[in-house]
Amino acid sequence: MLEEGEKMQGNEKISAGQMGLLMYFAISASAVTVVPGITGKYAQNDLWLSPIWASLIGYVTVYIACRLHQLYPKQSIIQYSQTILGSFLGKVTSLFFIFFYLHLTGLIVRAYAEFVVGNFLTRTPISVVMISMVMVTALAVRGGVEVLGRTAQLFFFMFLIPVALMPTLLGSMKLQYLFPILEHGLKPTFLGAASPQAWFSEIFIMAYFLPLVSNQEKSMRAGMWSVFGTMMLLTIINVFILLVMGRQAGDFLYPVMVAFRYISVADFFQNLDSVVMGIWIIGLFQKISVFYYASVIGTSQLLGLRDYRPLVLPFGILVVIMGFWSIPDQLHVSAFDTFAFPFYGPLVQTVFPLLLLILAFWQKRGQASHAGRTALTDDTNS
Amino acid sequence: MNRNARKWWRMNKQKLQQQQQMPESSTQIAKELAANEAVLRELYTNCTDVVYRSFLIGGSTKALVIYIDGLSNTEELDRSVLSSLMNGKISKETHARKLVEKTISVSKWREITTLEECIESISNGCPVLLIDQQEAALSFGLEKWEKRAIEEPVAEGVVRGPREGFTESLNVNTSLLRRLIKSPALKMELMQIGGYTKTKVILAYIDGIVDPTLVTELKARLNRIDIDGVLESGYIEELIEDHPSSPFPQILSTERPDVACGNLLEGRVVILVDGTPFILIAPTTLIALLQSSEDYYQRSFASTAIRLLRYVFTVMSFLLPSLYVALITFHHEMVPTSLLISMASSREAVPFPALVEALIMEITFEALREAGVRLPKQVGAAVSIVGALVIGQAAVQAGLVSAPMVIVVAITGIASFMIPHYIAGIAIRLLRFPMMFLAGTLGLLGIMLGIIATVVHLCTIRSVGVPYLTPFAPMKGKELKDALVRAPWWMLNTRPRLTGESNMYRQAQGLKPDPSKGGDTS
Repeated sequence: MLEEGEKMQGNEKISAGQMGLLMYFAISASAVTVVPGITGKYAQNDLWLSPIWASLIGYVTVYIACRLHQLYPKQSIIQYSQTILGSFLGKVTSLFFIFFYLHLTGLIVRAYAEFVVGNFLTRTPISVVMISMVMVTALAVRGGVEVLGRTAQLFFFMFLIPVALMPTLLGSMKLQYLFPILEHGLKPTFLGAASPQAWFSEIFIMAYFLPLVSNQEKSMRAGMWSVFGTMMLLTIINVFILLVMGRQAGDFLYPVMVAFRYISVADFFQNLDSVVMGIWIIGLFQKISVFYYASVIGTSQLLGLRDYRPLVLPFGILVVIMGFWSIPDQLHVSAFDTFAFPFYGPLVQTVFPLLLLILAFWQKRGQASHAGRTALTDDTNS
Repeated sequence: MNRNARKWWRMNKQKLQQQQQMPESSTQIAKELAANEAVLRELYTNCTDVVYRSFLIGGSTKALVIYIDGLSNTEELDRSVLSSLMNGKISKETHARKLVEKTISVSKWREITTLEECIESISNGCPVLLIDQQEAALSFGLEKWEKRAIEEPVAEGVVRGPREGFTESLNVNTSLLRRLIKSPALKMELMQIGGYTKTKVILAYIDGIVDPTLVTELKARLNRIDIDGVLESGYIEELIEDHPSSPFPQILSTERPDVACGNLLEGRVVILVDGTPFILIAPTTLIALLQSSEDYYQRSFASTAIRLLRYVFTVMSFLLPSLYVALITFHHEMVPTSLLISMASSREAVPFPALVEALIMEITFEALREAGVRLPKQVGAAVSIVGALVIGQAAVQAGLVSAPMVIVVAITGIASFMIPHYIAGIAIRLLRFPMMFLAGTLGLLGIMLGIIATVVHLCTIRSVGVPYLTPFAPMKGKELKDALVRAPWWMLNTRPRLTGESNMYRQAQGLKPDPSKGGDTS
């Protein structure tokens, strides 16, 4: 408790519940704004089914991340990839992962800024929106993983406010929009799941947080719960916008915002989209800080630094730059989300770790049988 | 520069001691009375308040009583010490200790052997008796000085609850604590801080409830202090807190003995400082700063309702002006049309943008508040009338500010005074100004970023190792019963878990009253 002065990253711990909440934010915060629109394009009025299929890859990813961590306890992917693949290949992989997350963080910041500038602050320069957000997240990342965990706990209930606001639209919901269910068979719902499953694979970022969890035995369950929670949130939101807007849902870039614009209670609470935006800013703050933290802590582990804090500010600048470099405008953001990310995300965050896991199993078995054989020979010798 | 100063301080330690005119700690009291007197008179040159009274014990042995005028009970000294020694039949060789056993009828006394102890004792108001041909002196606990009577604390009023407040004198304050907690487990450890002031500081805690590491840590922090004087507990607070650059107070200060005792019973440590009615309580949390002692004396429903009201208005005092500025400047669509029209019409003649208007009003309000504290009572009423007229009526009529802004400022002001601990109120009121700038530049986005930054900061700070936002973050479900709401006493079975896990339960289980349970006698 009283180790204030010598606060090293090794001493900081979060609980499995806090990690689960962080992961929940890491997937759902940006998914709720963009994904329903993309899903709606393919799955039409069955868009509420897609998150359920998509979440499967989330469960698989959680399993992979936790098994890898069980094989190499107290290590993050940066550290055990060097054990599995050897020093050189492992370092190359780590470097790739760091750039992957740096790039992703930049993308998220850019997408967030495009969302804010496009919907609310139309005359504000996008760099102001991006830099202000990165500054706030840098503050949290500097504070350490404990601060991230605590903010996640505080913000969790706030993040559910939009869900609580949904019943105010009961009057304009039409149940018949739901039907006919599965008009074109299951195929459109699978196509609609392509985009969300990329988001669900993002839960692999828990590989950076698993070594910091104090009650390890609960971490897999926490990860599974956060996948389940995200699936529920996406399903509820998809049902909600479907009931409010029908098949039009797929025509909007941010259908949820449009739906909340309909709200009017007692002629006083109107146009609550600004409130919803405010709450999404909180969610995105959590998401960005998680990704930002992962890229910073990954780099410090690769370089063998004792403290990651000196890296926070330079990486903040890099994140903003990545946000500008990676994508020219809003059109490309949604094109990336629709066409590239469904392949790119799971490939890096689920398939590649799966290969690592298989390799690790194979190595461990080799070691075990080798150890067993030597033990046997020892026995016979004695 | 800083390092040089530190080096200079260390090198001159000896010199500083001389400047403070303290004899070295090892100087023994000499055998000859005249030598001792000479040393003491040298030290107390130009100190007209020191009284030397020489006399003869039993008509033969030379003796000297030294005390400071106004700090000691001279009547008692004359009656119990001087007269009995002068009139008694005492042989020359009687040792000082024998005198106390046989002749001097003073209950509190101490034998001292060094000159430093002598000085200390005299400065504390204990008369010192030096006897010729003896290397030990006697110090009598006859301190007596003018004290303020125990009064009701001004800054922390309650409707229901004890009306006693701490006073400036340390022994009155310790007695107030001891009167509420009679168990010998209540420990009070004495320390002295301050080169010149030699201020007495007492560290109080309940053995068996408190986490021992907490006491060691606080003791270490107090021992680290090397300062010339401590005039108020604020000095100590700023020298031992965890995050000096935070606007939020990380140590609770209170004037109320019942608050102190409640915190002692929850396993916290209380620091009493001589010369001030404000005692310090550590560790503390943000929630503790938003709680009043009265919450525990009222019925739990009332307390819960008041607590929730207080939380809402605390958030308001932080956010209301900036929300208003953001709505007026950026988000017209969120305001219902009729309200928007009436707001717009009242703002029609106002020549300033909303942000400037808000800043003018809020700064004026802060100035009025500060003036209200400083002004003599007779003028205070006049100022408050002028203030109310100027920033209320006249400003609106002149078209300088709009009426809704006056309402917003008034609500903010009232809200900030709902916070039971004045210091916490100031912290939140100060943060309101950066929030207004954020709202005026980035609208709701700016407010959200401001909230996030504040929350991140609150999550970062700790008070003596305890996270500042416990029990919300880190979430401790068991403790929400005394944070979000105030559960009835029969449900508050566990103490808050601060740092360790010692002595969890504070009462027996199942205390919920019920007619069928009856009393023990039935």
